[in-house]
Amino acid sequence: MKRRHSLAGIAAVAVLLAACGANDKPAGGQAGGDVKKGGTLYLLSDSPTQQYDPARSSSLVVTGLQFVHRRLTSWKVAPGQDTTIVPDLATDTGKPSDGGKTWTFTLKDNQKYSDGSTIKSADIKWGLERSYAPAFAGGLAYHKDLLSPGLTYKGPFEGGQELSTIETPDDKTIIFKLARPYGDWNWVASTPAFAPVPKGKGAEANYGEHPIASGPYQIDKFERGKTAEFSRNPHWDGKTDETRPANPDKVIWQFSQQTNVISKRLIDDTGEDKNAFGISFASPAQLAQIQSNQSAKSRLVTSESGALAYLALNTLRGKLTDVNVRKAFQYAVNKAAYQVASAGNAQLACDAATTLVTPGIAGREQFDLYPSKPEGDPAKAKELLAAAGNPNGLEGLVLVTRAENNWPKLAESVQSSLAASGIKATIKPMDEETFTAEVQNKPNPDYDLALVSWQPDIPSANANIQPLFQSTEIGGGGYNTARYNNADVDRLITEAQATVDQKEAAKKWAELDKKILADSPVVPLIYTRNSYLHGSKVGNVQIGRFPAYADYRQFGIIQ
Amino acid sequence: MRAVKFVAGRFAGMVLVLLIVSFITFVVFYVLPSEPAQLACGRPCSPQALELAREFMGYNVPWYQQYFDFIGGIFGGRTFGTGQAAIVCSAPCFGYDFQNNADVLDEILSRVEVSVSVAIGAAIIWLITGVGLGVVSALKRGTPLDRITMAVAMAGVSMPAYLAGMLGITIFAFGLDVVPKNGYVPIGEDVAQWAWHLVTPWLVLAFLHAAIYARLTRGQMLETLGEDFIRTARAKGLTERKVVGRHALRNVLLPVVTVFGVDLGLLLAGTVITERIFSMPGVGMLLVDSIRSLNLPILLGVTLFAALAVTLVNFLVDLFYGVLDPRARLT
Repeated sequence: MKRRHSLAGIAAVAVLLAACGANDKPAGGQAGGDVKKGGTLYLLSDSPTQQYDPARSSSLVVTGLQFVHRRLTSWKVAPGQDTTIVPDLATDTGKPSDGGKTWTFTLKDNQKYSDGSTIKSADIKWGLERSYAPAFAGGLAYHKDLLSPGLTYKGPFEGGQELSTIETPDDKTIIFKLARPYGDWNWVASTPAFAPVPKGKGAEANYGEHPIASGPYQIDKFERGKTAEFSRNPHWDGKTDETRPANPDKVIWQFSQQTNVISKRLIDDTGEDKNAFGISFASPAQLAQIQSNQSAKSRLVTSESGALAYLALNTLRGKLTDVNVRKAFQYAVNKAAYQVASAGNAQLACDAATTLVTPGIAGREQFDLYPSKPEGDPAKAKELLAAAGNPNGLEGLVLVTRAENNWPKLAESVQSSLAASGIKATIKPMDEETFTAEVQNKPNPDYDLALVSWQPDIPSANANIQPLFQSTEIGGGGYNTARYNNADVDRLITEAQATVDQKEAAKKWAELDKKILADSPVVPLIYTRNSYLHGSKVGNVQIGRFPAYADYRQFGIIQ
Repeated sequence: MRAVKFVAGRFAGMVLVLLIVSFITFVVFYVLPSEPAQLACGRPCSPQALELAREFMGYNVPWYQQYFDFIGGIFGGRTFGTGQAAIVCSAPCFGYDFQNNADVLDEILSRVEVSVSVAIGAAIIWLITGVGLGVVSALKRGTPLDRITMAVAMAGVSMPAYLAGMLGITIFAFGLDVVPKNGYVPIGEDVAQWAWHLVTPWLVLAFLHAAIYARLTRGQMLETLGEDFIRTARAKGLTERKVVGRHALRNVLLPVVTVFGVDLGLLLAGTVITERIFSMPGVGMLLVDSIRSLNLPILLGVTLFAALAVTLVNFLVDLFYGVLDPRARLT
């Protein structure tokens, strides 16, 4: 639920702030001229800090954590292309065996930390073990239950216990024995916890402020609320790293910047701000200002699509337990009105969504089970409601939304479009924390409808579907906000997760996408787009088809 | 003896105020539907992982037990977790910030220099200009100078801090390009740069506050100048400077100092909007960031710190009354 640069989860407030970007359609998501090695890159952030402890970080592969840490695998991101998995510290993207239950990785030769010591397979294991210690929880945890079912393992700091499901027969080999077959394990191996931490180190709570670097940069200075400064890691070997060109000599991250001031600095484009990139999404209000400035407009980069914004229907509540009633919502919602509420103009907004799997994910199939105009089809909705025994529509539904930013406005657009189909809903705005508690934690929450969005953590349909629709994700901190519980879908999710052949897995996920939507637990609204502004000397600012975030690793300074 | 009793009484009052504030804040933050362990749970977050996070952070016990643990931590410190990676928060432990891995007290104290720098500089400027302009305005009542001063003061009183801050940065930093755009340089690093980076926040804050003080001083001064003792002073043949400076101003300053105590106390606890606009990493910015990231331990800590700052400054103001008014002197 974090906004800022946790960059994933229910991609909360800011994703929709910049939803669909009130600007022209993106032209390939790339900007900037030729870059050369050298110079200082400035990253301007409204966030007070950044987490550089690999166990505790939930950053995506394209963001700043990658300056400091390498992992077993990485992502190859290019504009207009699906993101692919590539080796990072490992020689390949992993060898599955035992039907996908065992995965073996081999480390490349002579890879070193910033202190000159060699990176060993035991360090990857130690980093993962460390992530189980309660003091270092909070990051992406896709590996946890697969390596320690039921979370019986509590980390290496209490009694020196090791995780028996990870084997390191020599310094370069690491073998994972999973609890069940898992085809996306090589994607999971690209998440932050798979970064090496020298065995025995990292017991201190603030390790993230001075981690030992395996990536191209090391942290020279870290001040929460102010700055993080990076210089080159002298022992990093670029020849072994195919995803990090590491162009700038220095990177300076400026925290806690006011968003309007960031925009103004970048629009003005003077002095060191020419070398700066704005990490915060450009909001619709800022975009209007940028549109009127030719120079700034040329330095704006927008993603093709992004997080899935959707209306969750609480499938355990009242009339919404009836699938035929839920289907009426697919026609009742006016997606064009939602686009206008997000971007001010439907022409400027991204396309209306009809699938659960977001664009840019390999194997995604485009389909529409409930074809209608983006404006919806109130007549059809009324017809379906009547057929389901509700000739007078529905009354007294509760629509929960966050109270911050433009969420209430978005909720109003949904509310009025539902009203046109005879569905009367009351909007219940909540602050972020209460909203999270309501939709994620309460066993019996008081809502019928919830307005949310989701950005998967890895470019796999698995990360799109499993967290939102598996019954194990209902309550207790899970993201199944529709409270969707279908034993058949649960079984098929486990089956698709176990499929090692990616083409075969993609087919299964596409089928699941359709199968779940046939039960109509959610109404897909739009695939939100993100826009970023940067200075005139920053080059290689590119956004791939996934994720909807610029790939910081590629940035360089135009000399 | 009377002074000792007064100090002891005020100190006990301060402790009581802080206890009440801590209790109310705790209840508000922890009893409302919320799940502070959510962020520490990771993603995906299973019910078991959530419970482990709650246990580690001490949220797995009833709220009143959590409150007693909190109060106990202030006197005896606290330890979260066990083994080599256990987090030790030494007394006085005002909570632990699990998001940033820092002792709440340390985190607040590390920001105090910034907030104090902003507050004291601005306070000096607004006190001198606000009181000065108020006195001059009162003495020149009805003249163009009085009218202009009061019109500007009205603008200052009416203007939201956010707008004043953005105007200040737009005009002086982006437009005229004579001051830094934002940021803070510690006084120990470079005194000149410290002051230079603070000029615009000082002026903005001083403008907003001076306006209030000018209006307040003017009103008080006009009232005081009509009092009998001023007529007596004038009748005794004292110069106008002595009448105003020694007799009138002393009376005028009593209510001004009272308001100043509250304002300075709040400012020392962080100028939320000003620090945010000028990217000054002070206590105010810490508060804003904590609200955005739902960092409850920090929110609780900053609230207590603010209460302490206000009560402490007001205590000092009470002592200062004696300097201004012999009747209020403690012996």
